[in-house]
Amino acid sequence: MVMEASLGIQDDQQPLSPMHDQLQTDDSFKKYEQNYKLTGVEKDIEKLYEAVPQLGSVFKIKDKIGEGTFSSVYLATAQLKMGPEEKIALKHLIPTSHPIRIAAELQCLTVAGGQDNVMGVKYCFRKNDHVVIAMPYLEHESFLDILNSLSFQEVREYMFNLFKALRRIHQFGIVHRDVKPSNFLYNRRLKKYALVDFGLAQGTRDTKVELLKLVQSEVQQESCSQNKTHIVMANKVSLNAPAPKELSQSSTKTAVKRPYSHAQIQTKQGKDGKEGSVGLSVQRSVLGERNFNIQSSISHESPAAKLIKQPKLMDITSRKLAAKKKVISTKTVTSNIVRKTASSCPANLTCDCYATDQVCSVCLSRRQQVAPRAGTPGFRAPEVLTKCPNQTTAIDMWSAGVIFLSLLSGRYPFYKASDDLTALAQIMTIRGSRETIQAAKTFGKSVLCSKEVPAQNLRTLCERLRGPPDLAAEKQEDYVHESILSLRTDQKLKLPLQVAPAGRSFEEDGRGGSEAHTSDHRAGLRGWDQVPDEAYDLLDKLLDLNPATRITAQQALMHPFFRDMSL
Amino acid sequence: FGIQKTKTGRLKKPFVKVEDASHHYRPFYLQLSNIPLINYSVPKPCSPFDLDKTSALQKPTQAKQRNRVGCEAPGPARLRESKKKGYCECCSQKYEALQAHLLSEQHRNFAQSTQYQVVDDIISKLVYDFVESKSGISRRVKRSIGSF
Repeated sequence: MVMEASLGIQDDQQPLSPMHDQLQTDDSFKKYEQNYKLTGVEKDIEKLYEAVPQLGSVFKIKDKIGEGTFSSVYLATAQLKMGPEEKIALKHLIPTSHPIRIAAELQCLTVAGGQDNVMGVKYCFRKNDHVVIAMPYLEHESFLDILNSLSFQEVREYMFNLFKALRRIHQFGIVHRDVKPSNFLYNRRLKKYALVDFGLAQGTRDTKVELLKLVQSEVQQESCSQNKTHIVMANKVSLNAPAPKELSQSSTKTAVKRPYSHAQIQTKQGKDGKEGSVGLSVQRSVLGERNFNIQSSISHESPAAKLIKQPKLMDITSRKLAAKKKVISTKTVTSNIVRKTASSCPANLTCDCYATDQVCSVCLSRRQQVAPRAGTPGFRAPEVLTKCPNQTTAIDMWSAGVIFLSLLSGRYPFYKASDDLTALAQIMTIRGSRETIQAAKTFGKSVLCSKEVPAQNLRTLCERLRGPPDLAAEKQEDYVHESILSLRTDQKLKLPLQVAPAGRSFEEDGRGGSEAHTSDHRAGLRGWDQVPDEAYDLLDKLLDLNPATRITAQQALMHPFFRDMSL
Repeated sequence: FGIQKTKTGRLKKPFVKVEDASHHYRPFYLQLSNIPLINYSVPKPCSPFDLDKTSALQKPTQAKQRNRVGCEAPGPARLRESKKKGYCECCSQKYEALQAHLLSEQHRNFAQSTQYQVVDDIISKLVYDFVESKSGISRRVKRSIGSF
């Protein structure tokens, strides 16, 4: 939840959209806070105009609507050549972003975006290192605000539309890595959805987004240097033709790997050996070594031709030098094992600690494994939390499962952890420690937990957490259902939770948000009194601890839970 | 993951320990003060793992105001203007203060280099359909990109 770089308003900030204004309680502290913020916002807006002067003649920048580690997002209006004035979201990327990363994010938007609930791009403005991406603005809800007022039907629609977006990006070989409510914009009234923010995206092995191939972050296990910072890149990557397959993975390929900076590897330790939570929720591994290219010739050859011509920019020797230059400042274990230089693998010394509650100087002297972990802790899949080096689009499906878990339980954020292993421990309390350990074996991880905890029945868990219907929350729907005619005032009915029989079919029976003005608020249940088994079956498949068998976006759309919904 | 205290020997319970099956890497582990429990009494919409709010009795009507206190992530993890430390991918170096780094010679050289051609190539394929006006502060109307 912290430090999001997204188009979404941070869940913990005051949303400033008119929709919410109606609902805002007149709270003087809030007012003060907003005014206080405003001056800061106005300054930021002025700075943005200065940094990218072209914006001045096109946009009226109204407000800052989001801020994250790698970007700030502004709301602006602009006049289109054809048509009316339009609201635009302007995403200003942090000027320390590498051009290739910026280009990759843009390419995700141009290649995959603009349909199937994936955000597209209207234009992009640049001056030097300041890049601003202009996107259509979708007014959206704050997830936390509406979580407990959504009808069950709305939840189905929400998930269905999320899978549409995920199927779309996964078809292009994009792993989003940061799927969470604030990156999936939802306009309840218009039933519009948009998956946003490709700032942390990575490509699959066969990604169709060419630039994601240059933003690799798989830290190859066979790579032996401690600081994997042997990056080279072309000065110019022309994108007119895709590089031939056999070249795309070759070592001569110009690529930007994304190893972790020292700052990230050596996160500050909090007490009790936990890493500090600062800066951990959204981190991206960094582009490594500076460019070793000498010339930049803007040519118009095919990338393939260029790649072949590219000198091998750093041979093994210089790699080693580069790796050696970067001194590791960790206080490593004072063991009598002499470490070899960073550029070679330490001797593979074994010890008897594996899968036991022991650690010794031998295993503690080994180097740490590095794997991608960008994202938000509570939404990271087990294979991410355990540093599995080959992560796939399945990590996004896990995140979608965590969102679904929030929707069904009425809790957000569902997991609350500032570090990976706390997050893993929380997952174990929901999905079971034995089950988690078993699954981790399949992707090459030994997980050990000192206490065995049983898996929860998902229905029981969600129903208990959701509790009785919250009538007060439904009042917030007034703007959706113009007036609630017969909102019951007999406070919080303690209704027995009915367990729906298996295989219940989805009859609309006038319930849910499918009609704009449903007056069916009978007992404030709106479908929650008969959540079908299919919902929990789908949840179970999304929160599959084994990424190899976890349901895909394509399969999810075909799941019986969405039986009567048309693609 | 952070470097942990390197105490050899037996881990104190409760703990979680993870190690790669290759035995090539350092195991990482966490010794918790207590194993997470699902707390059903925390009021909606707070996380069932929210330890700060052990009982619903403290704030009986909390759930309804737009009062996020208690549901928020732990304090220090807030992004603040003042905290602008980070890593510059362009210069491959850490910085203590963002603004100062952006003004450094090294970064300014990069900012004005042709490295951004890869971005401009994509921009050149986008359709520009905004109307420009001379409103507001008279700003240079310049859609061209990059300065060489």
